[in-house]
Amino acid sequence: MSNNKEVIISLKNVTKTFGSVTVIDNISLDIYRGETFVIMGCSGSGKSTLMRIMTGALKPDAGEVIIKDKNIATAKDSELNKIKRAAGMLFQYSALLDSLSVKDNVALPIREHTKLAENIISIIVKMKLSLVGLRGFQDYFPSEISGGMRKRVGLARAIVLDPDIVFYDEPTSGLDPVVGGVIDKLIKDLSKKLLITSVVVTHDMQSVFNIADRSAMIHKGKVVEINSNQGLKETKNPYVKQFIEGNPKGPMNVFSDVDIQDVIE
Amino acid sequence: MISRIGKGIISFYNSIVGVIALFLDILYWIFIGPFKSKPARRESIFHQMVFVGLRSALIVFFVTIFTGIVLAMQSAYQLEQMGATIYVASLVAVSLTRELSPVLVGLVIAGRVGSAITAEIGSMKVSEQIEALDIMAIDPVRFLAVPKFIALFFMQPCLTVLGNISGMLGGYLVGITSLGLRSSLYIQTTFKYLELKDIYTGLSKSFVFGIIIALIGCYQGFNTKGGAEGVGKATTKSVVISFILIILADCVLTTMFYFSNV
Repeated sequence: MSNNKEVIISLKNVTKTFGSVTVIDNISLDIYRGETFVIMGCSGSGKSTLMRIMTGALKPDAGEVIIKDKNIATAKDSELNKIKRAAGMLFQYSALLDSLSVKDNVALPIREHTKLAENIISIIVKMKLSLVGLRGFQDYFPSEISGGMRKRVGLARAIVLDPDIVFYDEPTSGLDPVVGGVIDKLIKDLSKKLLITSVVVTHDMQSVFNIADRSAMIHKGKVVEINSNQGLKETKNPYVKQFIEGNPKGPMNVFSDVDIQDVIE
Repeated sequence: MISRIGKGIISFYNSIVGVIALFLDILYWIFIGPFKSKPARRESIFHQMVFVGLRSALIVFFVTIFTGIVLAMQSAYQLEQMGATIYVASLVAVSLTRELSPVLVGLVIAGRVGSAITAEIGSMKVSEQIEALDIMAIDPVRFLAVPKFIALFFMQPCLTVLGNISGMLGGYLVGITSLGLRSSLYIQTTFKYLELKDIYTGLSKSFVFGIIIALIGCYQGFNTKGGAEGVGKATTKSVVISFILIILADCVLTTMFYFSNV
């Protein structure tokens, strides 16, 4: 975590509802420059929605989302696009464009937002692919490479414009533990080498302990606890304890009080 | 029952508003957007023109040449009884250029290209690729819809011209073989009664059909919901709506041309 603790993302009383369901309920939190901040919680807890609000893909119903001193909740499209260009995102299923090669996928943001010559673009793409250990895979198509490699290409695309912030949506989901560990190491390395602020949504506790400087636990759209790795391990918060231990019994009732034994009987 | 009708009306209204909004968005990115931001990529437009035009040429050729053959034989059956077999040439030419070629090519392209557009954009929607473009500050309408729209707008008339020629070729083959007409006489009669306005009324229809196919294909793609099943439903819907709108637009345009003596 950064020593000067400059706030780069600040959420103030953010609320989002879909129909009659309040998915994000009056959340306030600060994320500091250079830190790896993890948002964790059960499926349906609102963590992905919270990230989409931070990326500008969703507008909150109430509250402020301040990124680099600009409130993106009220920003005009042109301002919002500038902020979007200063951030990258790695999607859960990579979201690479199927019709483009690995090289064209990584080069896409440069081609769209800069006037750099093709030979310079090629050098940048090679450099970014080297950073994620995929040099030599430029001419492959997304359908020709494995899930872990697709994630790494997605990561190369996310960092190609040298963003200040990278958002990661479930970066290790669907990967085996070894490849998951590789992705975790990449996230950590990129944060340190490129001084990137990383915001990671995950429910993979192994990944949380590998990469997080601080983590926020979300439940039913509210922040239950924000803590460091050590703090999470020592916490007495019943929600966090249940989540870390993966205990089906506890304050978070996933099956709404339905006893599996009753169902079987 | 009433609530279902109400929901249907609201959904229909929202769809019309959505298609108009998409059309305006596309026009913005063609005429205004390039001065403020980047225009649609030329390579992408070229790629779409090849897909829409060149790769549809063969199917258009076969559909219209057989239509020309059938049209010539069916009309010869009637005209022979009046001793006016030679007029098969002009009948084939005029009915193809004014009506059959634009509509048939429109339906063929709606089935081949409109469905592909919806399936492509729909798959991208359900696999987060559209959201990824948006987060990379790349406007999905400029990136995906504009090249397809431009390609269809220009290639639809080109394919219609190809349809006119191959349809007339079909009629000509019947004329000089089965009907025993002289080649020079058939060609002379074709052009004697074929006027320029017959060609441009047909072509003006094809421009409209191109716009319909592009708009409906893209709109259904961008509004795809769910997974693979959603893509399938959106694709079917795209083809059905395009077919209906092409026939409807043809009816409206033909009425307009009829009453304005064009």
